Amino acid sequence: MIGKDNILNLLNTILKKSEADQTEAVYIGGESGLTRFANSAIHQNVSERNSRIYFRAILGKKIGVASTNSFIKEDLEKTLGNATEIARNQKENPDFPGLPTKQDFTKIGTYFEKTAHFSPTQRAEAVKKIFDKAKALQLTCAGSFSTGDSEIAVVNTNGVACYQPLTSAYLNLIVMGDNSSGFSDQLSRDVDQIGLDNLAEIATAKCMESKDPKELEPREYQVILESSAVAALVEWMNYIGFGSKPFQEGTSFLSNRIGQKIMGDNVTMHDDGVDESGIAFPFDFEGVPKQKVMLIEEGVAKGVVYDSISAHKEGKKSTGHALTPDNAEGTFAMNLFIQGGDSSLEKMIESVRRGILVTRFHYINGLLDTTKALLTGMTRDGTFWVEDGKIKHGIKNLRFTESMLKAFSNVQQVSKERKIVASWWEDVGCIVAPAMLIDNFKFTGKTEF
Amino acid sequence: MKDKIKELIDYLKKQKVDYADIRHQRSSIEDIKVKNGNVEALSRNDDQGFGIRVIANGAWGFAASSMLSSKEMRRVAETAIEIAKASALTKKEDVRLTPTEVYQESYKSNYDIAPFGVSIDRKIGLLLDACSTMQKNPKIKVAEGSMQFFKTDKIFASTEGAFIEQSIVESGAGIFATAVEGSEAQRRSYPNSFGGDYASRGYEFVEELKLLENAERVREEAVQLLSAPPLPEMETTIIIAGNQMALQVHESCGHPTELDRVLGTEISLAGGSFLTLDKLNKLKYGSEKVTIVADATIPGGLGSFGYDDEGIKAQRVFLVKDGLFVGYQTSRETAAVLNQQSNGTMRANGWNRIPLIRMTNINLEPGEWDLEDLIGDTRDGVFLDTNKVWSIDDRRLNFQFGVEVAWEIKDGKLGKMFKNATYTGITPQFWNSCDAVCNRKFWHIWGVPNCGKGEPMQTMHVAHGTSPARFRNVKVGVSK
Repeated sequence: MIGKDNILNLLNTILKKSEADQTEAVYIGGESGLTRFANSAIHQNVSERNSRIYFRAILGKKIGVASTNSFIKEDLEKTLGNATEIARNQKENPDFPGLPTKQDFTKIGTYFEKTAHFSPTQRAEAVKKIFDKAKALQLTCAGSFSTGDSEIAVVNTNGVACYQPLTSAYLNLIVMGDNSSGFSDQLSRDVDQIGLDNLAEIATAKCMESKDPKELEPREYQVILESSAVAALVEWMNYIGFGSKPFQEGTSFLSNRIGQKIMGDNVTMHDDGVDESGIAFPFDFEGVPKQKVMLIEEGVAKGVVYDSISAHKEGKKSTGHALTPDNAEGTFAMNLFIQGGDSSLEKMIESVRRGILVTRFHYINGLLDTTKALLTGMTRDGTFWVEDGKIKHGIKNLRFTESMLKAFSNVQQVSKERKIVASWWEDVGCIVAPAMLIDNFKFTGKTEF
Repeated sequence: MKDKIKELIDYLKKQKVDYADIRHQRSSIEDIKVKNGNVEALSRNDDQGFGIRVIANGAWGFAASSMLSSKEMRRVAETAIEIAKASALTKKEDVRLTPTEVYQESYKSNYDIAPFGVSIDRKIGLLLDACSTMQKNPKIKVAEGSMQFFKTDKIFASTEGAFIEQSIVESGAGIFATAVEGSEAQRRSYPNSFGGDYASRGYEFVEELKLLENAERVREEAVQLLSAPPLPEMETTIIIAGNQMALQVHESCGHPTELDRVLGTEISLAGGSFLTLDKLNKLKYGSEKVTIVADATIPGGLGSFGYDDEGIKAQRVFLVKDGLFVGYQTSRETAAVLNQQSNGTMRANGWNRIPLIRMTNINLEPGEWDLEDLIGDTRDGVFLDTNKVWSIDDRRLNFQFGVEVAWEIKDGKLGKMFKNATYTGITPQFWNSCDAVCNRKFWHIWGVPNCGKGEPMQTMHVAHGTSPARFRNVKVGVSK
């Protein structure tokens, strides 16, 4: 850890030398370790200490961005010079509203000392316990266990000076048998919250219960999607639809549909960066405090998330969802919450006469028809046939091809219990998702295992 | 830096590690994106650091840092050893590396025009001109263009005596038009989707792409797609264009022939492979028309290099020969399982990542057909062009891919256009249905800059030499 004062002081010193009209600096740095295992042995075990410092130099409405991973003063000055030179050669961006001004952000706890100092030996000893349990059942384990700390800071010449230290711990586990596998995972800022025994128990049970899977013909089925499966669908919906860029370009399933009913009454999704029941982070990479944004409320399309430039295009204010200055992908809802209901996984299973339970999905893609949120993907690591209220046996994996507007209009039950599911932005966000029981979910293909 | 690396190698030898290597890498990336007449992103990102990989107590450890002081380099070496000892707590057997020739060599990729020396104004100007052409139809809601340039200098040194310096320059560009009408949105890309086409060449590659000359066609095809019908569900003959064949080779041959996947070490992220060891030299992967090689030696290929990140010289090896599955992409550790030598496919996407088995240029060797003759020889079918969707199961068997545009083939001629076209299959069944591959005149090496693998995630530059190919009895149109 470099520390708040060291980072903010050096960045502010560099900004004072800027020749640009406005200048912004973003610091992201830290130390992380990841222990990866397969066949119940650690095969990749890595540690990294790194940082990245971005400068955004503004001349009028011309924007130049440059970055370096050196936190040495001379290198930072050179990088700022590169950003300014790029701005001089730029065209004006008419949508640029100016850099944000200083705003207070919510103080939240995102740093846990033990997580920051969790050693490779501690990670190895933890996974070894899981290996030993699996070995007793003639099963093997694959997965990874990562821990690390980071510091994120944003400063600009308008007075913004944000700093947040954070830690992260994530364990994903696949327990494997001869012809089946089971998955479990857990993400937390606090490594003490990672429940090794519970994760091992879940993955082992799924592996054993799905052994000797039977083949099932693809068609529409009633389906129970566990939290990881629901989150994987919503993660892709986020990519193609909850950001300002696809919304403004007309390719989002929310484009031109704000205020319209597009899903069932029991589906509500929002983004909230300061809700500590998720993986909270209080400001974006422009230093704007994160706002709570309703995306879908009781099935009605409500809105998307914005950074300064995309908000200015619509005469709005940023919702605090800017990505790093070099990013041209727009904005994403990085702290997604899907509202829970009053059911449970057990109740869902009990209510299914003939249907499928999905632990998680693999390799989803949603680019075929984004205005309908049409997704395809495979089931993986624990797919089950449910009959007369009971899990009967494992089934071979299936491919689904389905519009999420249809699927989330057919939700019959939502679990009260929700799980923090790791997303593409696991250091600064996650998806908090319930399990769901959905009617007429379309499977279009099958595979051989 | 060279002296520091040599000193550190000496230090690691004194620590009595079984093996160690050091990679120092310095890289620069220039990224330009224009949209609807504005420059959306213009950035230059510089990066350098070093990573140390050791085998101690018979197990792997890796540590890396962006700080280059001698003190930090020593700390990182000690951390790597500590990590290896932690790994050894779970080892079943000692890591064994196949022996290799030790090189003290250098390698530089070739280019005519240094891309970082070309003015930003010239680059932006080309993209803005192409966007302007694409915007001439009001149904084009988004007209975009992008360029990316990479320069990477790296040093590899090992306790076995290797010391290799490499310098690689890469360039890529593309244009993209999105037409929108009501709740319908359709996109066309040139020369390929997801960033265009890339090569290990200089700015001359971008100029040869002729972006401006293709902007009008891209615009019109995107607009036409708005009123095109969706491809109906049926079983038919398909001819796949070269850029989509690149994706097909990538997902259904490139990834499943990575030997680390086969041995289970990628299970936790992207999964394993159906090409298990018992299938080597036995499985009829495809028809006799199908020969696929891994070739890291092709000048200009985005998957080309002099030496991999274990110091193994670049090679060309067969993966599938006349339809028979005959080889894997290997590393020094995995090749030992087969009692073979590594064929040099270990690469890391930076100093801060361990090398993994990564595709080089995985190429479907050209066949005999002219494309016009192949279409003319097809009575009923569909021509599929430019990837839009990709999804495949975790053993690389069941795939479903979608393309930006499809055209009906009727009595040997291209007919009406279809939108939202997909096709699906099981990998070996699909490749066994291949009855024709176009010749070298239609063969092109498609650069793919975004191949993901590993934890932490590594995005690698790879490539695929392909030409259009024909497949029989394929299920298409499974889109809803």
